[in-house]
Amino acid sequence: MSATMVQQQQHRREQEKRPRFFINDNIDILREILKRLDGPSLGVAACVCRLWCSLTRNDDSLWEHLCFRHVSSPPTASVRAVVVALGGYKRLYMVCVRPVLSRLGNSERVRKRVWTRHEVQLSLSLFCIDSYERLESGRIPSDASASSLMFLCNTVNV
Amino acid sequence: MKRDHKDSCGGGGAAGGTVKGECSSMQSNGKAKMWEEEQQQQQQQQQQQQQQGMDELLAALGYKVRASDMADVAQKLEQLEMVMGCAQEDGISHLASDTVHYDPTDLYSWVQSMLTELNPEPNNNLDPSSFLIDNNNNIINSTAPVFNDDSEYDLRAIPGIAAYPPPLPQDNHLDEIETANNNINKRLKPSPAESADSAASEPTRHVVLVDHQEAGVRLVHTLLACAEAVQQENLKLADALVKHVGILAASQAGAMRKVASYFAQALARRIYGIFPEETLDSSFSDVLHMHFYESCPYLKFAHFTANQAILEAFATAGKVHVIDFGLKQGMQWPALMQALALRPGGPPTFRLTGIGPPQPDNTDALQQVGLKLAQLAQIIGVQFEFRGFVCNSLADLDPNMLEIRPGEAVAVNSVFELHRMLARSGSVDKVLDTVKKINPQIVTIVEQEANHNGPGFLDRFTEALHYYSSLFDSLEGSSSSSTGLGSPSQDLLMSELYLGRQICNVVAYEGPDRVERHETLTQWRGRLDSAGFDPVHLGSNAFKQASMLLALFAGGDGYRVEENNGCLMLGWHTRPLIATSAWKLPSSSESSGLTQ
Repeated sequence: MSATMVQQQQHRREQEKRPRFFINDNIDILREILKRLDGPSLGVAACVCRLWCSLTRNDDSLWEHLCFRHVSSPPTASVRAVVVALGGYKRLYMVCVRPVLSRLGNSERVRKRVWTRHEVQLSLSLFCIDSYERLESGRIPSDASASSLMFLCNTVNV
Repeated sequence: MKRDHKDSCGGGGAAGGTVKGECSSMQSNGKAKMWEEEQQQQQQQQQQQQQQGMDELLAALGYKVRASDMADVAQKLEQLEMVMGCAQEDGISHLASDTVHYDPTDLYSWVQSMLTELNPEPNNNLDPSSFLIDNNNNIINSTAPVFNDDSEYDLRAIPGIAAYPPPLPQDNHLDEIETANNNINKRLKPSPAESADSAASEPTRHVVLVDHQEAGVRLVHTLLACAEAVQQENLKLADALVKHVGILAASQAGAMRKVASYFAQALARRIYGIFPEETLDSSFSDVLHMHFYESCPYLKFAHFTANQAILEAFATAGKVHVIDFGLKQGMQWPALMQALALRPGGPPTFRLTGIGPPQPDNTDALQQVGLKLAQLAQIIGVQFEFRGFVCNSLADLDPNMLEIRPGEAVAVNSVFELHRMLARSGSVDKVLDTVKKINPQIVTIVEQEANHNGPGFLDRFTEALHYYSSLFDSLEGSSSSSTGLGSPSQDLLMSELYLGRQICNVVAYEGPDRVERHETLTQWRGRLDSAGFDPVHLGSNAFKQASMLLALFAGGDGYRVEENNGCLMLGWHTRPLIATSAWKLPSSSESSGLTQ
């Protein structure tokens, strides 16, 4: 045998001794990591593979952490019941928290700020109004439905 | 130029035509006379000129200029041309008739006087125009129908700047002035009206851009003049002015144009006496209301601040009853229900009584809104009960009908509803009486911060003009930073229509039909005080929430929240536009343990 072949065999043996670690085998660790990501990164994470996609889409607790990460005092238990009933934390984040954070963040030029209960209250109120508008009704024309939060979607002239 | 201004001021095309005819005939007469004079006097003057060193060629035209002064005069003429070219046509119109201080054949001193006249007063341009408008009123009132041409040459009509110097004017001099002017103005602009005058002698012309700010001020002045004419019942003048407003408004852009068009439209309605029936189609007005809700923060501000006051009043109540004087789509209540659901200690039972106008197609709009609110209440876990009341006017409301239950904490909420009661005398007192009989813990009132209920039409008009200009400005400001999608601009249009209907009501209607009788916070305070209510201070929570809400609106830099003796006001820049106030009855704090 040549010297290179000996080296290759040694290399292979060393590799087999090392335990292989796949993140997808350890969903708890994956969840812990995803919990700490910010919104855009979570979106990117959803595109990695099917497992990651199903995790980010279905596990609302990830989004709950995202929504209230910056809150100074943790929200009460009743909040979860209401939010889940109105459509879940992911929806809360997409519809209210993200625009509110970015709008208020831009105006004060602070990347990470601590949320006070006022901001939480405001977001929840807006979320509730949005859900109300989406309820079936015969009187409101369809184009006006669920657009009370349209103002949050408008881009701000920076 | 001066007559062009008067033409545009009056907007009467027919009058302009005859004026132009006269003008050109005057000019040709003038020129003919000049040539005759010169031919006769030429020989006599020649010696004089030679002695004084006058330029011969110009002398042939009738102008005496020293050869030595020629360069100077040329330079001054250039300056004059520049200044006249830049100035508003109004601003120099007075010069066309006033600067008759010197013999115009003496070109040097005449040009000198023109320049000194122009240079020290570049900003006086506005005053003559407003004087002219006012004087038009006076002239027309004293003479006959629409526009009398005699006023053109009646220099006494023009005030202030020495328009009527004693030794003049005789027709000869006028001719000379006109021709001198025309020679100077050969290469200057004219407005389209003047082009017919001297088409032959002025082949080239520039067009001077009208300064938008100046035109905007002129627009406002014309609107006010029209309103004054309406107040004085001078409908012919008002008609002419209203048409002119239309022309002026077209040259503006953005909010100013829209406001001016709505006001002009309302004035036209008043002048012609066209009063379309108040459309009972409240579904359309509901749609407009929704768009107004979405496109700007006023209604949201009203709802959030009122809700905060109600929440604080209901902090410990187990049974809660809210009476809404204008339910519309019920957009205020989801947020309150959600806040009640998250109250420490759990939500109370929530009862809502909504009051609304009768529907033309007899559909039960109130019930549909109630169903939707009930659905939401079920989702978030709040016990909910709804009752709807249809009535034409809040004064028809009977407290017994509302079935207040013992042990209930009651709140009365009125967002932009109370001012309608001022249209009929005694209504507002009856409503306040009803409220007192209900014995609420808190009464929240949101109203427009403006006095559109004064006795004089012109004052009302002026107030409304300023108020709605600010309002339209703010709409423009918040939508300008939106993406260019279809729906934001549709929101904007609908909101403007919503406000336009209010404008029409304030300006065109009278008597019980004029329901948009807005009054200021001070006036409402006085009214509620004398009815026996005590003010409740809206806390800092309400202020913070409101400020945060406004920060979310694109273009929200212009919105301001102000605190005024415990009441909150939302305004655009320095102008407060709506005010939220909270009230309670003096006995209610004492009777917390008593049942009704």
